[in-house]
Amino acid sequence: MAGMRLPIESHVLQAFVTEGLKPCIDHVISFGMGHFYISQSDKGGLVFGGDLDMYASYAARGNLPMVEHVAEAGMTLMPMIGKARMLRSWGGIMDMTPDGSPIIDKTHIEGLYLNAGWCYGGFKAVPASGHCFAHLLATDRPHSAAARFRLDRFRSGRGLMDEEGTGAQHNLH
Amino acid sequence: MRIDCPLCGTRDRREFYYSGHATALARPAPDAGAQVWDDYLHNRENPAGVTEDLWHHEFGCGAWLAVRRDTVSHAVLSARLVKGDQL
Repeated sequence: MAGMRLPIESHVLQAFVTEGLKPCIDHVISFGMGHFYISQSDKGGLVFGGDLDMYASYAARGNLPMVEHVAEAGMTLMPMIGKARMLRSWGGIMDMTPDGSPIIDKTHIEGLYLNAGWCYGGFKAVPASGHCFAHLLATDRPHSAAARFRLDRFRSGRGLMDEEGTGAQHNLH
Repeated sequence: MRIDCPLCGTRDRREFYYSGHATALARPAPDAGAQVWDDYLHNRENPAGVTEDLWHHEFGCGAWLAVRRDTVSHAVLSARLVKGDQL
């Protein structure tokens, strides 16, 4: 709409819910090596997910190979969930940046600001990122906590981040 | 999702490694400047609809393919071989 090309490629990330079970997990468990997380909802369903499908997608649904992969990661972490029956799954659209970090910045277009590229994270960062974004809107200067989330880091290489040490390149995060 | 490899026929998505948009084939000249290289390396059209991206048939024939695909429906429309010197 604004005619800007951004360093963002949209991918699909699936999540899954099982049938309701008696309370068995009272906190979130994440499994870094398997890129797997799981918690239990108030209704008893286990809510879990894992890796991106790893291709550009706006379908809001994924494919079966990643369903299998996530289920295997879950069984690796906690075989006790093996008999739980899965009720539903869905795919969310993830705005992936090359370095896996977000963009909070003004653009070259007057009055147009960006708060984007939160990849598959960001939900818990909403209050803090909103605070930083409001600071940017009000003062036209980046908040100190968000100073490294500038759009021009990709062009200059200055402060280019790479959360996993895999390289600041599309499809690696 | 299945991809039609021109050499192997229709194969499961699991045989392929995804390597991003086919814009990687249009490599700029070394002296094209920071803005052109930034655009090439990072910025994307990111279409909702038909796109063309690169897939490596790593658990098949080893060929690199440029695959035309719909990002909304996941339909695979066509695939063509890409020469190594284009990458």
